[in-house]
Amino acid sequence: MEIELTRRAETVNELLARYGVKFGIYKDNEFKEQLFPFDTIPRIIKKEEFAYLEKGLKQRVMALNCFIRDIYGEKKIVRDGVVPEEFVYISSGYLAPCDGVVPPKGIYTHIAGIDLVQGKDGSWYVLEDNLRVPSGASYPMIAREICRKSSPDTFETYHVEDNRDYAKLLRWTMDYVNTGGHTVILTPGRYNAAYFEHSYFAEKTGAHLATGRELVVEDDYLYFVDYSGKREKVGAVYRRISDEYLDPMTFNEESVIGIPHIYDVYRKGHVALLNAPGNGVADDKGIYYFVPKMVRYYLGEEPVLQNAPTYLPYYEEDMRYVLEHFDELVLKDVAEAGGYGVVFADRMTAAQKEDFIALLKREPRRFIAQEVIDFMDIDILENARRTPRKADLRAFVLMVDEPIVWKSGLTRFSRDPDSFIVNSSQGGGFKDTWVLSQ
Amino acid sequence: MGIISVENLDRLFWLGRYSERVYTSARLFADSFDRMIDMDMDNYAAFCRQLDIPNIYSSREDFCNRYISDENDPNSIYSNLMRAYDNAIVLRNEIGSEPITYIQLSVYDMKKSRVSRAPLVGLQKVEDNILAFWGIVDDMIENENIRNVIKIGKRIERLDLYGRLQMNRESIVREVHRLAGRIARTNLHYDEKNLKELKKLAEEDQIDYDRVVALADTLRKD
Amino acid sequence: MKTLRFHYHMELAFSEPVHSHVYTLKCLPKTTGTQRIETCAYRISPESSVREGADSFGNRMLYGKAEEAHSLFQVDVNGTAVTDITASCEEQEATDCSVYRYQTPLTRPGERIGELLARCRERTGELPPADRLRVYTEAVHESLRYEKGVTDIGTSAEDALALGRGVCQDYSHILLSLCRADRIPARYVVGMLLGEGESHAWVEVCDGGRWQGFDPTNNVPVEDGHIKISHGRDYRDCSINRGVFTGQARQRQTILVEVTPV
Repeated sequence: MEIELTRRAETVNELLARYGVKFGIYKDNEFKEQLFPFDTIPRIIKKEEFAYLEKGLKQRVMALNCFIRDIYGEKKIVRDGVVPEEFVYISSGYLAPCDGVVPPKGIYTHIAGIDLVQGKDGSWYVLEDNLRVPSGASYPMIAREICRKSSPDTFETYHVEDNRDYAKLLRWTMDYVNTGGHTVILTPGRYNAAYFEHSYFAEKTGAHLATGRELVVEDDYLYFVDYSGKREKVGAVYRRISDEYLDPMTFNEESVIGIPHIYDVYRKGHVALLNAPGNGVADDKGIYYFVPKMVRYYLGEEPVLQNAPTYLPYYEEDMRYVLEHFDELVLKDVAEAGGYGVVFADRMTAAQKEDFIALLKREPRRFIAQEVIDFMDIDILENARRTPRKADLRAFVLMVDEPIVWKSGLTRFSRDPDSFIVNSSQGGGFKDTWVLSQ
Repeated sequence: MGIISVENLDRLFWLGRYSERVYTSARLFADSFDRMIDMDMDNYAAFCRQLDIPNIYSSREDFCNRYISDENDPNSIYSNLMRAYDNAIVLRNEIGSEPITYIQLSVYDMKKSRVSRAPLVGLQKVEDNILAFWGIVDDMIENENIRNVIKIGKRIERLDLYGRLQMNRESIVREVHRLAGRIARTNLHYDEKNLKELKKLAEEDQIDYDRVVALADTLRKD
Repeated sequence: MKTLRFHYHMELAFSEPVHSHVYTLKCLPKTTGTQRIETCAYRISPESSVREGADSFGNRMLYGKAEEAHSLFQVDVNGTAVTDITASCEEQEATDCSVYRYQTPLTRPGERIGELLARCRERTGELPPADRLRVYTEAVHESLRYEKGVTDIGTSAEDALALGRGVCQDYSHILLSLCRADRIPARYVVGMLLGEGESHAWVEVCDGGRWQGFDPTNNVPVEDGHIKISHGRDYRDCSINRGVFTGQARQRQTILVEVTPV
């Protein structure tokens, strides 16, 4: 049955433009804002199917949180030989200054974005865990608002879980760890790709949007300084800048967008930082391989959600497999993100292949290899006609006293019919994600 | 949203100024354009002189194209609108998404009027959106200080423009009084001596326009 | 066992006055298995509210903000320490050493360090780590000529070795690189040395659960004349002073250390 909403694409797009639903992009060193292309055909997830995803996502994020706490604490998982220690210490996400620092309520993964894809047989695979500063929830949130405005009939017909409660969940997540004081969303500034999202969340949660210059540390507390010079204590910072830039006195000395000594305040437990610095140790592409093992190790449960079949050339056996089945695999550089550093072996020339294999043998720890999943395509409207495209789903999991899975998500699709890359920075578009309530 | 940083207080002020500059210069342009259709083809030279902007234009067509929408002309209405936009976009937290949409819509309308042979139609929409922006600012923003700072920016800009254009005495007197009545109610730092002098100037029979412009521009202290 | 009196002085001279100067200092020695700090007092000028803390390596930190304009920033630390390397009892679990087993950008070996390690291995064979260390320490000592001003805080071990010249920091980074390439956990140490001079750097390696010090600059094992201030994976974890200030100024850092026996 045709969804009425899909006949309202023009209205929807007009409203999205009106609300400036954009992301920033650097082209030839120049900052540009682009509208984020939206497709009106929603991804629909049935109630039971979502219940399954929810269970798996909660479990996964719980295990990831346990892992981070362990790595910066007792390191049992390393001692027990489940995760080889070098995968931890060589990871760019491992930050030595976080060792022994326990964040408020022991939460490291306040807002996680877990990227999933669905295979042709209907089964779901986790492709990536994003724990540092995952972005994207604002887009389906505002898109829903606009879709409901554009086609109320659609939402009368279908019973869709309201996803506009994200702001409330986010606020709860921030308040839960707040150590006493205001709540701030820390942005690098308007020339950041996700600035729209930062400012939108601030408006919708009632938090203060601030840049590093507006916050100061004094006597082991963090303050927001207003125009009259008055200082207001800050108890929670949802930081949308990467941890390396958070504090020039502890991390990258060159950072001009951070706040000197904010990390020392955090270390003393006087402010909560969301997400916790150093949590990138768990979303490293190399560590990803071990997540199902973490679920078994920390929770004593079988993982509900599976990884895409992954090989670690670090292990001899896996290296052998990778070399034997090279053409069937996709190779990922563990240090890269945003769709970069991903190569499909069957698209390489013979010379490229040879070079790559040499590099792989030289630096086996740098790469993971994955089977190419036969994606279940999703239709988009192109010139008013349905055509299939690759798409993924970023599910958002917020951690309060237990993980909460947002009943929606960001569905990204590639606009290029031959591409698997769905990232907005590479020209992808997005869809609303409906979770049916009955 | 009680607390506002120094930077954002400044942005609120300039958002007020630039929105006013766009609105008033669009209206002034409309008058001038009308004359240029069939009465005085070179009226743009006088227009530039009055507004104290360099006459870099080679013809009526060149002026109409560039003054409205040239992004590389710092005095174009478009450039001023983009300055308003740049301030608005970082004030979502202070003023909210809804008011910003009207600035955003102005930008779209401005881009559309760029290609039109009848630019006043598009500019009319820009003006409508700015008026709607001011209306919603007044109606939706709960924080009185935020409302007032935007309005002070608007009032100061208007006085500055009216002074440059040597508008009639009544207009100047009205603007001085609106400004004086409002500024005392904000938390902005301003020069009381200058304000007093402005009020005195408004009582004179002959308005000293240059002085009015100078005082308006230096009224606010950082 | 020795009882030592120490005085540590660090100053930053600015070419123009600076203000809002935020700083973190790691210049206070702490009591460890091999040294006991009996007294320790510090003074920072210009005076400002100073906080104390510790980093994740357990190093003591002083941090604060000097608001007013100043052209000179000074830190003085005075105290007494009792050192006794024979008392070493700092037992570590193997995993606690793990982070020190991996190279950092400053210690990552290249061709030159590879060659040096190969040459050392010809001599060490299957010797136990402590003996291998003596060979490494000597090899580093002989590969470098002590010279100031030719390297800086960003010079990597590989580059310093290629240059053949450097200061204690470079000696230490090369030794760290060798140890780690040999899978021996090793850490960078900043400290003070008996006599007069600047602050010093050396290396500690974890062997059988105990940390032992080696000083490649002087080609000696660490003894009771060494007072340790801090340790980390490389120089960057131990930098004595980090600062951010407002003002267009060049800065010159001077460090004077005086350690005398009591």
